[in-house]
Amino acid sequence: MSARKPVFNQQVLYDTTPLPASIPPVKEIGATSAPLLSASFFIGARCRPYNDDFMQCKTENHGKGEIECLKEGRRVTRCAASVIDDINTHCLDEFRKHWQCLDNNNHQLWQCRKDEWKLSKCVFDNLKLEKTIPDAAKGQPPVHLRTKPIYAHYPILRDRGQPPFGKAIDPPSAQAQADAPSS
Amino acid sequence: MPQDLPPVGGYGPVQYKRNLPAPGFRPATLLLAMGAVMTFGFYKLGQGIREQNELAREKMWSRIHLIPLLQAEEDRDLVRRHLADQAREKELLGENTQVYNSGKYVRPTFAVTPSNVTK
Repeated sequence: MSARKPVFNQQVLYDTTPLPASIPPVKEIGATSAPLLSASFFIGARCRPYNDDFMQCKTENHGKGEIECLKEGRRVTRCAASVIDDINTHCLDEFRKHWQCLDNNNHQLWQCRKDEWKLSKCVFDNLKLEKTIPDAAKGQPPVHLRTKPIYAHYPILRDRGQPPFGKAIDPPSAQAQADAPSS
Repeated sequence: MPQDLPPVGGYGPVQYKRNLPAPGFRPATLLLAMGAVMTFGFYKLGQGIREQNELAREKMWSRIHLIPLLQAEEDRDLVRRHLADQAREKELLGENTQVYNSGKYVRPTFAVTPSNVTK
């Protein structure tokens, strides 16, 4: 009984009073779960310092962080919104394809690798943000670049005219480096 | 009267051995084959577990990157409601009573709902 948090259910509890003018307003992120999941590693790539700041502030002001850390929280939201905005301006099609795929596949990232690769490439070319998974196991390709996912329902088929995949594809930064001297 | 004698050339062979079908592979072969199948299976299992670990790590990090964002939004909403509540209390009672002696922010268990919802 006591373990249950008294969660504010916002569907029922209307309180439309805005924040006082002394607190600067910030536009909320407004994205649903699938776009956020799709963009999460790019958000992490750009906003890691802000996120860490916010979480550090919350840890240091334990119990009062909600009120004390509003400034850091605004920075976090602005940074994430900037990433989403940039992806929307530069890679809207790839982004949409990927998050719709995630929505259709129970938010399982490994079912949508092909769309994810296209999104990653576009995002790296335009925004220079790259998906990396910290602390991944050494000596094997990172799981989001493997071409034979064990748990995917369907194998990853290459496009017409595309050279055969190896064990894993190159990360977008390596692809860009490989492309650069030839062009 | 002639005596009963064996037929010329003797009796035919008596079948005393059991007539069982061929037993198949030798036990040693079966054991080896089983060992091979099990080894292969455990190898694939190990691969699957490792990939699952990596997928779990990926999912965890995607969540780690998102949590500050979601928490910040939630906190802002809570603070907005908290300040509105304080203002309401001040207006009604003239002062803000401190309910808890810890100085911490406590998520409200009860909240005022407006008598007429305009939405």
